[in-house]
Amino acid sequence: MTSRSQSRLGRAIALHLFLTPLAVIWLFPLWMMVVFSTMPDNGIFSPGIELLPHDNFVDNFNNLQRDTNFVGAIGISVSVAVTYTFLSVLLTSMAGWALARYQFVGKGAVVAIILGTITLPYSVVLIPQFIMVARDFQLANTWIALIVPPLFNSLGVLFMRQAFSMMPADLFDAARVEGVKEWRIFLFVALPLARPMLAALAIILFLASWNNYLWPLLINSQPGSMTAPVALGTLIGLTKVSWGGIMAGAVMLTVPMLVVFVLLQRHFIAGIAAGAVK
Amino acid sequence: MAAVTLTNVVKRFGGFGVVHGANIDIAEGEFVVFVGPSGCGKSTLLRMIAGLEDISAGEIAIGGKVVNDVEAAERGIAMVFQSYALYPHMTVEQNLSFGLRMNGNPKPDTERRVRRAAEILRIDELMHRRPKQLSGGQRQRVAIGRAIVREPQVFLFDEPLSNLDAELRVQMRVEISRLHKELGVTMIYVTHDQTEAMTLADRIVVLKAGNVEQIGAPLDLYDDPANRFVAGFIGSPKMNFMPARVVETGPGAATVELVNHAGARLSKPLQSTPPAVGAEVVLGVRPEHFFDAGKGDCDIAVKADVAEHLGSVSYVYAGAGDDELIIEREASRQRASGDHLTVAIKADKALLFDTKGARIR
Amino acid sequence: MRHQNATAYRFLTPYLLIFSIFWVWPIISSFLISFQATRTVPWRFAPTFNWGRLIGDPAFYNALKNTLLILVIQVPVMISLAIVMAVLLNSPLLKVRGLYRFAFFAPVVVGEVAYSAVFRLMFNLNFGIINKLLNSVGLPSVDWFSNVTPAMALIMIAVTWRWAGYNAIILLAGLQSIPDDVYEAATLDRVSKVKQFFYITLPLLKPIIVFCAVLSIIGTMQLFTEPFLITERGGPGGGTETLGLLLYRQGFRSLNFGYASAVAYTMAGLAIAITLVQLWLTRDPK
Repeated sequence: MTSRSQSRLGRAIALHLFLTPLAVIWLFPLWMMVVFSTMPDNGIFSPGIELLPHDNFVDNFNNLQRDTNFVGAIGISVSVAVTYTFLSVLLTSMAGWALARYQFVGKGAVVAIILGTITLPYSVVLIPQFIMVARDFQLANTWIALIVPPLFNSLGVLFMRQAFSMMPADLFDAARVEGVKEWRIFLFVALPLARPMLAALAIILFLASWNNYLWPLLINSQPGSMTAPVALGTLIGLTKVSWGGIMAGAVMLTVPMLVVFVLLQRHFIAGIAAGAVK
Repeated sequence: MAAVTLTNVVKRFGGFGVVHGANIDIAEGEFVVFVGPSGCGKSTLLRMIAGLEDISAGEIAIGGKVVNDVEAAERGIAMVFQSYALYPHMTVEQNLSFGLRMNGNPKPDTERRVRRAAEILRIDELMHRRPKQLSGGQRQRVAIGRAIVREPQVFLFDEPLSNLDAELRVQMRVEISRLHKELGVTMIYVTHDQTEAMTLADRIVVLKAGNVEQIGAPLDLYDDPANRFVAGFIGSPKMNFMPARVVETGPGAATVELVNHAGARLSKPLQSTPPAVGAEVVLGVRPEHFFDAGKGDCDIAVKADVAEHLGSVSYVYAGAGDDELIIEREASRQRASGDHLTVAIKADKALLFDTKGARIR
Repeated sequence: MRHQNATAYRFLTPYLLIFSIFWVWPIISSFLISFQATRTVPWRFAPTFNWGRLIGDPAFYNALKNTLLILVIQVPVMISLAIVMAVLLNSPLLKVRGLYRFAFFAPVVVGEVAYSAVFRLMFNLNFGIINKLLNSVGLPSVDWFSNVTPAMALIMIAVTWRWAGYNAIILLAGLQSIPDDVYEAATLDRVSKVKQFFYITLPLLKPIIVFCAVLSIIGTMQLFTEPFLITERGGPGGGTETLGLLLYRQGFRSLNFGYASAVAYTMAGLAIAITLVQLWLTRDPK
């Protein structure tokens, strides 16, 4: 063996020796979430070290459903996330298209306002949003309250603007010369070409809506109108509650997203790498 | 078929002028090429005819109708783009039919037109492929096919061949010429390549920095350029420009002496009043218009720096800076760098320009 | 391009409406509310009412101190860790890359509530797996929830676990955009791998590192769920209370909108300051 390949091998071993424990630590909370969700409550609160899954998931889930209507909450979460994602992708890609592809009066101002306010913390708008939705519009504890206000998110606009402005302009001019109407150009030429970007954006938006906690906690606090994270959150800290049940809920919130992550990793990473979240 | 008329057409982006009042008349069925260096406004002009750019001032008429406020789609034009602009997510067939489908053209008619275009361009085999699966030349055909399908009054080409390799470019050039004959439609073609302009055009419009420098048939531009810019732009290799001074004037003629070749004097017949004695002028001679020593009106001696042998002809590069000359020789295979060489200039094959570039006829 | 105001606004208006109502107007409105006494009906304009109280409020200084403390410790640790993750994940020597990527990136999809619950359970004093593991190697149990220092540490650990991979994704994308030939040239110049990291990778990655740091700072500044759920409403005794939690408590428990808006605008001020620092750090050299 040459010294060159020896030093490569040495470096490879060192790399894996460092990275493997770190990866195990990083996976540990997720693993324990699964383990806890399959253990009876008296097993979770026992002195022994348990690192392997048991078979109590169904009982835990039944306990959870007894503590709160989690199935109903999941239903709300799914519907809200799907609707929000669809609307947000539509609105932001339309706006991104306009900003990328047309010259119009006020364009500079719109871009300046979006860019100038993008790093402001969400907390700033929390109180006025709440006053508006709950008091002025009387929409607390409705689906509209969960879906519409978060549609303001402008990262999608910037993301899609970028996507559309990277496409060759000739493509759209060619359609224009052929007499294709602008909205049809958007629908049948621009959107199909932006499919990978739309997928990335949709995944990120879906995840954001699915995991959203603070706004749903504030605006939909009524039992029966809560999203799944909010319903689960109400149990944390209660004294007489099934922790196995909470963990079963946590697994139900997390595992589908992990599966989506594994299947659509490429789009996920593209979306995050473009800063399209938060 | 339709004539296209541009009257005082101006384009400004913000305060910045790109086209400064273009007047161009294009006859029905004519093949006109807009040529000029990049940034001369030729593409902008084409896009204004297409309706993709607003017209800042002036008028564009197609088929006798002013189209300034007519949408691109309603102008009866079709355009072939430099990048081909094929829709990557559609098959060739879908690409060809997209515009017609979107506008609710009856299906049988759409199919007929697509079939016809495919036949004309011999792309029947490719109908179910996507642009990605096509070669450059095939993409180019599809792009042209998409224009044919529209059965337009006027074809617009925006540097359609610049993404092809040299061999394919020649082939497609012939193809486009054939297409023009077959369809007999007005065609306006933009390029920066003077060879394309010379070979394709019925008439050439030479543009520079937003101004029309000259309009004319290819050989007229070659033989009788209006100014130094056109003279230098048309013809390959470029015309040689040699600084000279007027040393003597008579009725209808001026004698000039070449500044870099002491003693080389040429008497040039002129129709206009000759410039004053002592005036600085520029003498233009094409590389192919140098003759054997003694066979012209004036001999000059040069020292060859480099000789390029292309087979049928050779080019000798002599001198440097504003003294550099390119000389075409048919029988100069044996010329090597360092050789001394004497060539002759003929008065009727030399053009005279003033220092601002205007022709002195 | 042709001017097409009507067309453009047809595409833009739906989004612009939502954006104006739920983002632009609230930004202004929040500022105005911070100058009003909101516990009287109707609200009355009292410029110093909330801001005056804020300046003299020990609860505010406690929350500000905790927030800044978390920022100053957690963000640099996490960004450094994320850089290490990204660089190592990018190594051509790495086997089963997909598995390592999954391990570090998976927390990105985990919701705040789910992971807060797990961390709470894992760090439980008597039955938590962490203390059990500490005991099994002969270390004493840590009471993570009753003492301020371990409670703060726990919050920082949790946030770092959740967001390090997220930053690593962004940094990895940045790393992959550095052309290979830069490293090949350096290798030919006999520059060691370690020096390549410090003299090539880090400088080229700087704008992205700064971007990640700003995102993380602004995110951490608003920290709410973790101290709300893990350390039980900022416990022990306000020891992990953050500005986000103070805002929630004032705005939505005490319904004191004016004061909560003043807290919110304090965060906005910090965010603006940090963004300006970012612009300065990543400015184009003249």
